[in-house]
Amino acid sequence: MTEVRLPTFRVQRSAFRILAALWRLNFAEELQYRANFVASLVGTAFWIATALLTLALFFRHTTLLGGWSYWEVVVLLGVFNALTGVIEAVLRPGIGQLASEVRSGRLDLVLSRPVDAQAFVSFRKLDVWRLTDVALGLGLAGYALARLGQMPSALQLAAFVVALASAAVVVYAIWVALMSLAFWFVAVENLSVLFDAVYEGARYPVSAYPGALRFLFVYLLPIAWTTTIPASALTGRLRPEIGLVAVAVAVVAFALARVLWSQALKRYTGVSG
Amino acid sequence: MRCVDAIDSPLVAPVILAEKLSKTFRVKVREPGLAGAVSALVRPRYRDVHAVRDVSFAIAPGEIVAFLGPNGAGKTTTLKMLTGLLYPSGGRVEVTGFTPWTGGSPFKRRIALVLGNRQQLAWDLPAEETFQLNRAIYDIPDAAYRERLAELVALLGLAEVLDKPVRQLSLGERMKCELAAALLHRPAILFLDEPTLGLDVTAQDAIRRFLAEYRDRHGATILLTSHYMQDVTALALRVLIINRGRLLYDGLLGALVARIARVKRIELVLGVGVTAEALGRFGTVRSFRSPNAVLEVPREEAAATSARVLAALPVADLSIQDPPIEEVIRQAFAEGSEAET
Amino acid sequence: MTRARGWVGTYAALIRNAWLVDLQYRAAIGLWLLWGITEPAIALGIWWAIASGGPVGGYARADFARYFFALMLVNQLTIAWDSWYLDRWIREGDLNFRLARPLNPIHESIADNIAYKARSGGVILVLWLLVALVWPAVRLSFDPARWALTALAVLLAGAMRFFISFTTGLLAFWTTRASAVMELHAGLALFLAGRVAPLSLLPPALASVAGVLWFRGMISFPVELLTGAVHGASQIQRGFAEQMVWLGLWFAAYRLAWSRGVRQYGAVGG
Repeated sequence: MTEVRLPTFRVQRSAFRILAALWRLNFAEELQYRANFVASLVGTAFWIATALLTLALFFRHTTLLGGWSYWEVVVLLGVFNALTGVIEAVLRPGIGQLASEVRSGRLDLVLSRPVDAQAFVSFRKLDVWRLTDVALGLGLAGYALARLGQMPSALQLAAFVVALASAAVVVYAIWVALMSLAFWFVAVENLSVLFDAVYEGARYPVSAYPGALRFLFVYLLPIAWTTTIPASALTGRLRPEIGLVAVAVAVVAFALARVLWSQALKRYTGVSG
Repeated sequence: MRCVDAIDSPLVAPVILAEKLSKTFRVKVREPGLAGAVSALVRPRYRDVHAVRDVSFAIAPGEIVAFLGPNGAGKTTTLKMLTGLLYPSGGRVEVTGFTPWTGGSPFKRRIALVLGNRQQLAWDLPAEETFQLNRAIYDIPDAAYRERLAELVALLGLAEVLDKPVRQLSLGERMKCELAAALLHRPAILFLDEPTLGLDVTAQDAIRRFLAEYRDRHGATILLTSHYMQDVTALALRVLIINRGRLLYDGLLGALVARIARVKRIELVLGVGVTAEALGRFGTVRSFRSPNAVLEVPREEAAATSARVLAALPVADLSIQDPPIEEVIRQAFAEGSEAET
Repeated sequence: MTRARGWVGTYAALIRNAWLVDLQYRAAIGLWLLWGITEPAIALGIWWAIASGGPVGGYARADFARYFFALMLVNQLTIAWDSWYLDRWIREGDLNFRLARPLNPIHESIADNIAYKARSGGVILVLWLLVALVWPAVRLSFDPARWALTALAVLLAGAMRFFISFTTGLLAFWTTRASAVMELHAGLALFLAGRVAPLSLLPPALASVAGVLWFRGMISFPVELLTGAVHGASQIQRGFAEQMVWLGLWFAAYRLAWSRGVRQYGAVGG
């Protein structure tokens, strides 16, 4: 009590202690999450290896798949993985629980917030570690390009980026459309299963499919625009102008999905009174 | 402090017998911080958690007994050892003549287990479907099934809810259906883990009355764990108090109160002009909200002090009470812990 | 005699319950059925394109069509999900009341499988018949002997896949990553069980691994029986022998995992 200490000195000391404690806590948490991170990384690597082996199996019996060579299809596979990374990281966590929320009535809580419901439901949860899938996918595409011996021009690269962004929007629009279904068919528990089942078709170039399926995947469930188009832009299979078309498709898809969502929401809030 | 107020006659063989029952878990030790996380991976170290220590008791057929204790005291662990879900680390246990852990089907047909937080009813189907399933599993003859179902439905008031999917029922209705499902095969012993957890007062009351009635009719032995005092006061004459794995008390609730509660409470309705200080001369003033007051005095002096208060102060009403049960129990825990250290 | 009647009654009640619950979840089950259809359909689409110039590895377009439709049916009749909910039961304490009952929990799972497969297998069968009306390529010749043999092979395959799934689920007694093991197995089965391509189209090394391990008996052998790709008494006998050996081994693995697992559970609780 008789000691006189400079107050600032004391504050500095405790500040260091606090910071150190925070860092230690952070690192301990990091370690815990790192185990999950390694697990998901290993998991994704495993499934990519499986996909590559499947491709190799197909190409054991043919030189071209829908006119695409092996490494071209691998570029497409990389794009597919990058997009699924976005889906797993951003969309699935938030949207995945929508169906149960509709059933239990908890959605009313969500709707009462002063933010756009669609945006909130879509982006509310982020599974950060899954973004590594995006990196893996793009890395794979890059590697495949190298094996093709092709270096994309700046214009092609730009077209690719635009097409990829548009692809992400189209995927998002498809998810929003599915979300809207949750309002009509309240018993639909596993919306994501519906998406996954159909999206498997995006693993391969759309030209590999027979006519009827091709029509389906280009005009009705436009998953062709999500992988085939960006990959084509990158490998130069399609002219860079395709990027503009991709943007147009994305805009249309988003608009349609938004309309569907608004209708569904209107009906839902009307019914629940 | 460990005491037994024996109430069972030595002539009746116990239906549940536990002798120095112990259960120790080996838990991985994880030091906080980064270095600790790494060492936990590389060189794991363990520490022993003594969940149950040297617990001994005997329960006669037809008794209703409550295991009382705070969370983590070892009640559920003991219950799991009695039902064969866990095997003891030490001591022995015998239930209806079986060692629960090795009892197999014959043992399981004689008991029923109802867990408060996990249900066995099929969630999406009416409770009746689960009843039918249990009928098949326990090989209940048709006539017996119909008769028992009718009785349980009547006692529990389930006529309206039998054909509604379980997920549409209230918590109380669900618990009643759980009980019905558990009793269709007329088990000799019913084990209940926190049966009134989360229920509203009416439902709790209904279930307690049902259990008492059922025991009276069929002589089933009922063993429940709880941290609700009302479960005990309404149902069980006999309590086993467990804390930190040790059995602190085994006997009648009334005797426990008498033994532990060293004080009595004098509840007063006072006349005008009495201050807390004035009252404080006679004992500890527990609460003073004019005109009501509660005075706490040592048990032996309760009568004498009451007389003095009546003589000295204007009193409209006076009554002598035991302290609330919760406090008695809390004191038992505290003394038990003290005895350990 | 009464014991047998007791088991019949128990299974009847278990299957009835499972059937009724499935009825409640028919939308969700429908979606899983959709997955069971689209995966082979996409593979068929690719092989159809590859075989446009002529037969590939002995498979013409029509052969691929028949193979993948047969695959759809066999897969639905043999697929097992049990590792997923077993994992959850063990971790969330839903195993406790089951262990306190005089019924081994595996019977509930078996009944569940019977109910589920009867329903979804029926749907696929009807679907196949409808498609066969308009698409001659997927029609099968009417051969009761072959169908009977296929039924037996499907039964053995279903039983084996069940024990694989159940045993893997029991790993949850020891680890939190039991589902990862199941995923790994599913990934391997994509190739080795013939879900991506008929085994004869695999590189010989992989195909022989599939034959040496249990994968061929899982899906490929019953499918080949149904489509007639496997014929001749010796081949058929060998296929059945392999199935029975692996079924026996996986059953033994289940028994080991269960007895050890329950003891572990009794030591540390759930």
